[in-house]
Amino acid sequence: MTTLVQNVVDGLGRGSTYALLALGISLIFGVMHLVNFAHAELITVGAYLAYGLSTLGLGWWYLVPAIIASAVLASMAVEITAFRWVRNSSPFTLLLTSFAIERLSHALWQVLVSPKKQTFAGPGWAFDTWELGGIRVEVMDVITIVVTIVVLAITALVFTRTLFGLAVRASAEDFDAARLMGVRANRVISGAFGFAGLLAGIAAALIVMRSPTAEPTLGSDWLIKAVVAAIIGGLGSFSGAVVGGLSLGLAEVFFRSYLPDGTAQRLTDAVVFMLIAALFIVRPAGLFTVKTAERV
Amino acid sequence: MLRVNEVTTRYGAITALHGVSLHVEQGELVALVGPNGAGKTTLLNTVAGLLHPTTGSVELDGRAVTGRDPAALVHAGLALVPERRRIFRDLTVEENLRLAGITASKSARRDRLVEMRELFAVLASKWHTSAGYLSGGEAQQLAVARALMSDPRMLLMDEPTLGLAPSLIDVIFQLLVDLRDQGRTILVVEQNARRALELADRGYVLRTGHIVSEGPGPELAAQADLFATFIGVGE
Amino acid sequence: MTDPTWLRLGRSLGASAVMVVVLFAGSTLYTATGGSARELLVKELLINLMLVLGLQIFIGNTGILSFGHLAFAQIAAYTVALLTIPVAVKQQQLPDIPFGLGTMHLGAFPATLVAIGMALLVGGLIGIAVVRAGGIAATMITLAVLFVVDQLVKNWQELTKGAGGLSSVPPLGGTLGLWVGGIVGLVVAHWFAETRPGRFAVATREDEIAAPSLGIGLFGSRYVAWIVSIGLVGLAGALRVQAIGSTSPKQYTLDVTVLLLAMLVVGGMRTPTGAVVGTILITVGNEVFRQLGDPKRLDIDRFPDLFLGVTLLAAMLWRPSGLLGDIDLGAWLRRRTRRPHQPVVRINPIRTASLTASSIGVTFGGFTALRDAHVRVGPGEVVGIIGPNGAGKTTLFNVVTGLVSPVNGTVRLGEQELTNAAPEEVARAGLARTFQNLRLFGNLTVLENVTLTALVSAKYRPDEAPIDVAWLLQVSGLAGFEDRTASTLDYGNQRRLELARAAALSPEFLLLDEPTSGMSDDESIEMVERIRTMGAAVGAGVLVIDHDLAFITMISDHIVALGEGTVIAEGTPKDIRRDPHVMAAYLGSEARDDAAAAGDE
Repeated sequence: MTTLVQNVVDGLGRGSTYALLALGISLIFGVMHLVNFAHAELITVGAYLAYGLSTLGLGWWYLVPAIIASAVLASMAVEITAFRWVRNSSPFTLLLTSFAIERLSHALWQVLVSPKKQTFAGPGWAFDTWELGGIRVEVMDVITIVVTIVVLAITALVFTRTLFGLAVRASAEDFDAARLMGVRANRVISGAFGFAGLLAGIAAALIVMRSPTAEPTLGSDWLIKAVVAAIIGGLGSFSGAVVGGLSLGLAEVFFRSYLPDGTAQRLTDAVVFMLIAALFIVRPAGLFTVKTAERV
Repeated sequence: MLRVNEVTTRYGAITALHGVSLHVEQGELVALVGPNGAGKTTLLNTVAGLLHPTTGSVELDGRAVTGRDPAALVHAGLALVPERRRIFRDLTVEENLRLAGITASKSARRDRLVEMRELFAVLASKWHTSAGYLSGGEAQQLAVARALMSDPRMLLMDEPTLGLAPSLIDVIFQLLVDLRDQGRTILVVEQNARRALELADRGYVLRTGHIVSEGPGPELAAQADLFATFIGVGE
Repeated sequence: MTDPTWLRLGRSLGASAVMVVVLFAGSTLYTATGGSARELLVKELLINLMLVLGLQIFIGNTGILSFGHLAFAQIAAYTVALLTIPVAVKQQQLPDIPFGLGTMHLGAFPATLVAIGMALLVGGLIGIAVVRAGGIAATMITLAVLFVVDQLVKNWQELTKGAGGLSSVPPLGGTLGLWVGGIVGLVVAHWFAETRPGRFAVATREDEIAAPSLGIGLFGSRYVAWIVSIGLVGLAGALRVQAIGSTSPKQYTLDVTVLLLAMLVVGGMRTPTGAVVGTILITVGNEVFRQLGDPKRLDIDRFPDLFLGVTLLAAMLWRPSGLLGDIDLGAWLRRRTRRPHQPVVRINPIRTASLTASSIGVTFGGFTALRDAHVRVGPGEVVGIIGPNGAGKTTLFNVVTGLVSPVNGTVRLGEQELTNAAPEEVARAGLARTFQNLRLFGNLTVLENVTLTALVSAKYRPDEAPIDVAWLLQVSGLAGFEDRTASTLDYGNQRRLELARAAALSPEFLLLDEPTSGMSDDESIEMVERIRTMGAAVGAGVLVIDHDLAFITMISDHIVALGEGTVIAEGTPKDIRRDPHVMAAYLGSEARDDAAAAGDE
């Protein structure tokens, strides 16, 4: 029983980070049909900024907002400087553009800082544990889950209550019709990138608090799983991205826990990805149907 | 109010409009009719900024708006009810309308939502239903209501009766007349050509990208050879 | 129409030979001026060349992006390593090796063959899913495959020794082996472009709807492209491990995949020449930028990464089709070796089968698009379908051509039942169609567009006397435009080309969807002549949709008028023009009374 609860907590902890990233990827796909393989680089941006500021002696109360702000700005900057110019190109071109940016990000950190991993001090309490009814949970797990729940609730409100949220959803369904309502294309796409950056920034803050390091390939480790989570949920489906992220996190933890020790356990990721490949084969559009209207 | 000067619009290799000119004056209801493929939708989309003409210009209130972004044109007081309605199926009726008021101030938006609720009783009863569940007639009314949310002075409507039952067609035509009587300027593309022309102040017949006939609506409607003009037989 | 095998093979060998000579001269010059360390770059170039050509065969010809090819190269590399590492060394390196591999040992040559076989076996199974899925789903399956193989290799330590990789693989020929591989890659890529599956795959890349409607199924040719490309990357993996003597998962990551994809798209993915140029540019550029860094420092990779990122981004922003676009040595040779001949006039006899669609009903969701609709076209007859917007004309057309399944009713061609047949089966049975919005193979030349359907006819309609493509182009007024890219033609010529492309199938019936849409009245009249000539020449009947009553009445022997999904009138052009229902359908329901009155006069 306790292992089960433990696994659920672990799985939700991992899964909620995937969900935040996947939601951003799904959001960007919704408004411009781009699977953004550069999305997780926002984590790297945040991590390096945190590293830089921590060498100046700033505490986590400053680092966290800085990480989030940097991710928002970087996300919007990339849209304006690169993606805007290929907006109406084929999915193929869009995809490779995002790969080019991912590669540039790797190179820039190597040139500007160093290819080596930079470690700095994390918040001391991150791995303290709380006893709750015989179950020990780490503070960081609780924070991750609570923050994610709050963020997702706010996101849901943004999507249903604000004009920006409505504009994003409408644009994902029929971009030209949204423009005819007075929605400005540049603004809604820029806003979607900004919002996706915000979600990625929050994910980055959670990741960096848990493991305070910065290295050029930091984002790559999260990228594939975030993309996969978004696709499991059906690209462009926002609730799907959340479900996809959480189920991927849970699946990983449960396989790791229940597969026999040794080789089989080390193959957790392989098994999870095999299942995902099988899923694509059975349902190419993901678990949730993609609701985006084709732009004619 | 609206002036289209010698507009030519191309899709890739296809030239859909060949130097089309027309004008709509303040308070007029103007019908644009013509066979399928004549370029009517292309013309409305060009005026609304979704397509860019290769030559020619579009003026709204005497100012050139050629090539402006559709959203900018909504701000300038023009709204298009697009062909096949294109309501946002994933959004509720209320959300569709709220988004369509994006150009208005917060209080104006709130007032107009109330207004639309009163004006369109069918929509009021489905206020929080996803628009995907609306019937064809309801969806068309939502599409019109959506365009009215920006309180446009110039309203473009593309085939508002397409796919509707005859009784609903009457409702939509009545709505057109009411809107004109409220002082709105309307340019409507209609497949029910004769009926639309009878209601309209003036009309244009478009064929293979050219205006082939124009004049006061009822006069055009009564023309014995309208059918021939329309389909190009007997010329 | 199709060149003889010796000529096609000759061109493949010729184009490959030119490239090999250039590559060989360049690398000899390079190694001669700088010592043996430079041999490494030549090896790298040749390995990249094989892999990129492998990618080109699938991605370039089908337009489906794959991230997974390196997984199969890796499978081949490990297969070779496990079969050729001396038994004594193997027992030391991998004491717990499963499947009795510990004592198994093969020579270099058989091991290479087994390795390619392994790649093909695994790849062949996965390819079924990839090719069926198509589009972005296919891309994601390949990404998952890359990741699964990567994880297996890194973590199945009993078999693979984990992330460190395997060494002590006996060398096979060193650089020479790689040269052989490179030459094989070049020949295979060029040859594939000359084969029927290769050309069909290109058609599916250019238009996924038009290709099946002309008899080219999506699966077959794409799957062949997949298999050939997997075979080639398998060979690359097998030769690489033997040229270097070791293998490790680092050589087959997503990062490397992106590097290879960059080579493919920077040069131009649609042609082997583009792939070769891209490979040379990026491999050499990478090396130049590597030397900018200080090799003693850890950050040696930073400049190549920067170079790659900038190059790829620049290519996507300014040249998304690659530096070379469709410029290709093979294609140039094809044009140069084309033997001019006098167009052969061939008038086919009128055929005997009729095309009938009866009691067709179609619903989309709750909406009834067609109710008890019917149409019949006799041999050599021209039948027109008219009706206003939304009447169901195109839906009826789509039912006949297999794009839409009816809920009831039947479609027959003579004795042959075509209801619910796939679009490619319908086309192969002899129904060739055009599209309202033009669906040409835009990046291909005029000649290639027409030749493609002639190839379909030769393969799937072997009993038909082949139609001379040169003559077809002449009749269509396209003589002299053979080598123009289809998308650069003006509108009228694109319409004419679409008609010629359909006629090249040597069909029983031509189905034309709004052939005069967007044309002026004069052009429409000219089109009437052209369609009649073309139909008569290939012996086909014609079923044509148009909203333009003037055009329809000029061209048709018989007209069916649709309104709101059912047949509202039928008869000769003269009858239809006077029919009150037709007038009402065109001008709106209110007009019905006036029209009826007018009809009585």
